[in-house]
Amino acid sequence: MKRIYYFLMLLAIFGTSNIYAGGYQVRLQGNKQNGFGLIGTPLNNGAGSIFYNPGALSFVDNKINVDVGASFIMSNVAYRSLDGDYTAESDNPLGTPFYLYTSYKISDLISVGVAAYTPYGSSLVWDKDWAGKFLIQDISLEAIYIQPTISFNIDDVFGVGVGFVYSFGGANINKAINLSNNSSVNLEGKASGIGFNVGLFFKATDELKFGVDYRSKINMKLDDGNVTFNIPGSLEPILGGKDHTFDTELPLPGNLDFGVSYQMNDKLMLAFELDWVMWSTYKQLDFTFDNDEESPLNSSNPREYKDTFTPRLGIEYKLLDNLTVRGGYYYDPTPTNEKYFTPETVSLNSNAFTLGLTWSPLEFMDIDISYLQTMGKQSEKTYEPANFSGLYKTVAYVPGFGLSFKF
Amino acid sequence: MKTKYILILAILAFMASCKPDIDEFEPSSGNADFTSYVAVGNSLTAGYADGALYKSGQEYGWANLLAQQLKKVGMQGEFKIPYMPDDNGVGFRGTHPVTKLILGYSTDCLGNTSLGPVLADPGADPSVLMANLMKSVADQGPFNNIGVPGIKVGHLLFPGLGNPALGPGNFNPYYTRFALHPATDVLIDEAEKVDPTFFSLWIGNNDVLGYATSGGVEDSITNPLLFEGLFKAVVAKLTSLTSKGVVANIPTITAIPFLNTVPYNPIPLTDSLAGLLNDGYLIYNQMMEALGKDYRIEWHEGMNPMVIEDKYMDLPAGFEQFKFRQIKEGELVTLTVPQDSIKCARWGTVKPIPDKYVLTETEIAKVDEAITTYNAIIKQVAEDNDLAYVDMAAALEKAKEGIVIDGVEFNTKYITGNIFSTDGVHLTPQGNAFVANLFIDAINKKYGSKIPKVVVSEYPTIQFPD
Repeated sequence: MKRIYYFLMLLAIFGTSNIYAGGYQVRLQGNKQNGFGLIGTPLNNGAGSIFYNPGALSFVDNKINVDVGASFIMSNVAYRSLDGDYTAESDNPLGTPFYLYTSYKISDLISVGVAAYTPYGSSLVWDKDWAGKFLIQDISLEAIYIQPTISFNIDDVFGVGVGFVYSFGGANINKAINLSNNSSVNLEGKASGIGFNVGLFFKATDELKFGVDYRSKINMKLDDGNVTFNIPGSLEPILGGKDHTFDTELPLPGNLDFGVSYQMNDKLMLAFELDWVMWSTYKQLDFTFDNDEESPLNSSNPREYKDTFTPRLGIEYKLLDNLTVRGGYYYDPTPTNEKYFTPETVSLNSNAFTLGLTWSPLEFMDIDISYLQTMGKQSEKTYEPANFSGLYKTVAYVPGFGLSFKF
Repeated sequence: MKTKYILILAILAFMASCKPDIDEFEPSSGNADFTSYVAVGNSLTAGYADGALYKSGQEYGWANLLAQQLKKVGMQGEFKIPYMPDDNGVGFRGTHPVTKLILGYSTDCLGNTSLGPVLADPGADPSVLMANLMKSVADQGPFNNIGVPGIKVGHLLFPGLGNPALGPGNFNPYYTRFALHPATDVLIDEAEKVDPTFFSLWIGNNDVLGYATSGGVEDSITNPLLFEGLFKAVVAKLTSLTSKGVVANIPTITAIPFLNTVPYNPIPLTDSLAGLLNDGYLIYNQMMEALGKDYRIEWHEGMNPMVIEDKYMDLPAGFEQFKFRQIKEGELVTLTVPQDSIKCARWGTVKPIPDKYVLTETEIAKVDEAITTYNAIIKQVAEDNDLAYVDMAAALEKAKEGIVIDGVEFNTKYITGNIFSTDGVHLTPQGNAFVANLFIDAINKKYGSKIPKVVVSEYPTIQFPD
């Protein structure tokens, strides 16, 4: 039991990711897919299908597959006041989303697998004294998904797979309060939720493959988090002391992904995917303090996200028998609302380019390397409840490295 | 192999150093010239706050915040301010010098300790404070900020404003300290010394405020015709130095916490106490009825309006000692009304609240009328001289309902409103930033300039003790 605990701790440390586009979703869940425009739904090239399309898992060759890897997100957010020359830049820690997939082919009909991966997360650190400090100073959200999965291969034409998802993670938020200098509040807590992942894979011909995957929304419930007010002593009686508890709920939205891949010839493969992310479930962020519906500290913060559709293109070329190179492009629209854009989640309409390669030095091992660059278009944004406006621009550089083992 | 690693490291370093380059703000002076800026006005321009003029308050003054932004559109050199020597500063209670106010604890007559404005140094030696204040800084001039606390429009033109020979209460020591020749210098002439290319003028508040804050007892409202003549003379003087500038009007007095904080009905009564008081006022009520007047004093269980003096009451000769009545909702009580006297010495019930702590409806009407007239004059003069114009009255009227900027909630409430400092009249640093942006907006609008606005959340609000 203890060992499991340490394992989870390790995952938690490693699993922090940065926001760089598309709300707080992080789709860097396989270094083969990362280089391929993050397309995975119509592919059956490894245990990563547990995330991208459980239906394709039973079409993965080999008895045993193990995929492990991580990405290293270096991101920056720039801010400038709308009618002034004030500028700020976030100083984000390195984000490290990771994945660990293992699959086992029980028979030609059935494959099973289990995975740990981090499809949502955010870590954004502004200067403690920056202009938006009353909205956010720094935030870190993390969610680790554990997903046992079963996949059925029907006549080598259809694949159907389903996985149960247990998600756990936490949040840590600091923001300044406008009561005396350097007053602030810290919110910190652990959250969990459950959901599922179901996918359908259709191998129309040896060359043409389709995939559909639905990953359900997961409501991360955070109960009894710790609130610590860092305020002058004279204000403590007014707030009922420095220490409080809070409850909140953050939705990790559902996804419906459609993908098609086509093997042009021995060497060249093209793919297209369209991902529907159901962000409109994220209406507001509510905090209830001290389990008291009437607490004056309670707040309801509108977010009013909208659904997004992300189109992706991928191209893969087999350069040598043991070396494959890839490229990809996608357009990642922001799910944020024009009126409720907060600097805690700086998600802008973004163009992204990916590169990748897989080198197989040994028959049972692939080395997967990927590189992704996403550039958020400079945009004028406002959070109306705080009347906080500005120009934002983002970039992220994401090298990734992974290993795949197949036996 | 080694070079490969170096290459990878170099690529990683390059990527990490690539920051998003956001479009820069392009400041511009439009068709104004901000080479030298002079700020003319009263305590608000001087950076007076928390009941005193003190150094960091002057630094946070809106005129200085504006000047720092003007540096980005062509202002040359320093914006010189006649700084006070320290952060305790000097203010006055009557003619008695005191330090600034801070939030602190005090114990009332009932033995209850609560948080409120207290003197930063209650034991400060008045003669030391006076010496600090009177120590001349004139040799550090000429100054760009020539705001002087307490002045009315006429004082700008008055020779001897800073003349100590006129005796305490008859000269303005805040001018004395930076006048080269206090006995004879005229304040408005200080403007010329910095060769201004741009000026700000925010004056007139004290032409009504002195009357308003003394409950209509001390001081008098400047006659509007006189105000017009003096204001025009001041603007003529300034526009003879430079044709470009900005003027601001005067907010309504109900916008300031000094007059909007103490409720009209702070007297809690039980049923039996109310009965006793009703018995006590039986004769008053009968007498008023006999005189054919509507004045009645009536008490009930719960919160009750105070009894106040009102010299404007319409009573026949010989009844002067009965010129007191219950206050009406909408009439204003000053922040300085002694709370202990209300709680423990039966002020407001048995003893009427003295006139100097109350603005009655008659007095409010006078003040409102004066402000409306002044503001019409200020606006007209601004238009006639083609100057930028800040409608401060409208801005603060809006602030009464609450305004949020950069996550800072502004309103006109005492302490919690973030605009007004502990004295209930002058600005907090955040309030100064708010006001500086109003000036910037008005200037940009008039002159097509692009002066960058200040970020209000960068400035402090009222500090609470630990």
